[in-house]
Amino acid sequence: MEKIISNIDLHAQIQWVIAIILSILVIATTTFWICNKLKPSKLVNEMTLRTKSWWGMCFIFLFASTVNPIITYIGLAFLSFFTLREVYTLLKLRDSDRSTLLVCYLSIPIQYYFAYKGWYTMFLIFIPVFMFVIIPFLLVLSGDTKDIIRSMCILPTSLMLGVFGISHLALLISFPEMNEGNISGKALLLFLIFITEANDIMQFVFGKIFGKHKILPKVSPNKTWEGFIGGVISTTIIGYYMGFLTPLNSWQLILASFCIAILGFMGDAIISAVKRDFGVKDMGDSIPGHGGFLDRIDSLSTTSSPFFHLIYFMVIV
Amino acid sequence: MKKLILIIIYTIFWRNFLKIIIGLKYYNQQVLRKKKPFILIANHNSHMDTMAIMSSMPSRYIHRVHPVAAEDFFGGSRFKEILMRYMVNATLIPRKRANSDEDIDPIEVMSNLLKKGRSIIIYPEGSRGVPGVMTDFKKGIGYLVKQNPTVDVIPVYLDGLHKTLPKGKNLILPYNCRIIFGESINFDSFDLKGIINSAEKAIHKVKSLVE
Repeated sequence: MEKIISNIDLHAQIQWVIAIILSILVIATTTFWICNKLKPSKLVNEMTLRTKSWWGMCFIFLFASTVNPIITYIGLAFLSFFTLREVYTLLKLRDSDRSTLLVCYLSIPIQYYFAYKGWYTMFLIFIPVFMFVIIPFLLVLSGDTKDIIRSMCILPTSLMLGVFGISHLALLISFPEMNEGNISGKALLLFLIFITEANDIMQFVFGKIFGKHKILPKVSPNKTWEGFIGGVISTTIIGYYMGFLTPLNSWQLILASFCIAILGFMGDAIISAVKRDFGVKDMGDSIPGHGGFLDRIDSLSTTSSPFFHLIYFMVIV
Repeated sequence: MKKLILIIIYTIFWRNFLKIIIGLKYYNQQVLRKKKPFILIANHNSHMDTMAIMSSMPSRYIHRVHPVAAEDFFGGSRFKEILMRYMVNATLIPRKRANSDEDIDPIEVMSNLLKKGRSIIIYPEGSRGVPGVMTDFKKGIGYLVKQNPTVDVIPVYLDGLHKTLPKGKNLILPYNCRIIFGESINFDSFDLKGIINSAEKAIHKVKSLVE
């Protein structure tokens, strides 16, 4: 027990951000509570539910990221696992894909082990190169060629979305060069998650308030140009002021947060399109108010690996 | 001793395994709180069905709940029988009704269990059938309820478990699935047809509870 907890060492900056997050949550909760007392509506109800879930997610994240690095890796691996499970539940896969599915699930611990060890090259090639060949071959071995192309495409893509992207969060805290001198992987992780989620919320808020012109009318009727532009601008500003978590200078910060905002939007749009194809509103019902796991981390799965390599390029190389 | 084994297997191992790894969600579990004996009826598509139902039983009376299994399929060898008796707490019955006095009558066996204050789990469809499809109920449930009109009948709908372990496969895979319990059935009439019809309707009603 001593060993597990002894690792709590928070930089002053991280403590600041935690304080900011908690105060935002407190403000949101009280605001929606007052709104509900004054004028109850469906929107307020949904927001209350969402805020409640944010509390839960926030505490789980803080617990997982501050107590012990091992717990962080296990927690992130489970996040990947739940995401994959959600996707495979909705996909109508063939019975002959089952053994290959097991291999897909088993790739999660391997990928996170590479992340834990910080083996950069192995980490990078395992899913896009190795699994990309292994999965189609295993499908061939099962002997059922009807609709095999569908499974061949779906399974590697699901790994890229659910495992490869998210595992970069784990690599951030284990990568040796990311934890030297004034750079802290944990602070970078917090920055990435904070900005990505802030972007989600900002796009949602601007869309709800000013939204008029639909940006993707056929895919997601809730996304508007006003929400997108407002979200990108406000996210860039937030990122600029949260810069004390990173070793970046001002223009790098603006570029990084701008990229996160755009990429977050892309991830959101991709998953929206997938959901439209499945004919469902949400991926699952695991997080009240938000939907499934993939509904919440859709933008994280696309922002994390570009952010990692952006930092790698700007700071280390 | 048997109770302890069952608690370790189901309440500790299977419940957590099903919840965390498989992704099973329990709905309306509170209908099981009453300690009265009951007949639990469920749709049947996979061997995981029994694991899911047994894992949702409260630990204080799990040893008094018996899944009913067909003798010809689950019996056969001594090893299998012991496994079924101690690991699953199952009661084995023959598939056919008795023709002469010497044969064991399946309905009789179940009725005796209920009279002793035991609860039973039965799958009125008779077998696992086609994945994801509910077939018509066999007559067994009708005879059983007719003979024991005072016993509670709890309908349960199992959703998606056939994907975790389909018939004919032996690899258990995670899939989000659900087990939904319903309130005990009020039968309007106690003739064979009426019982079977209202039992079928009850399970369909439970299915629509969470959709």
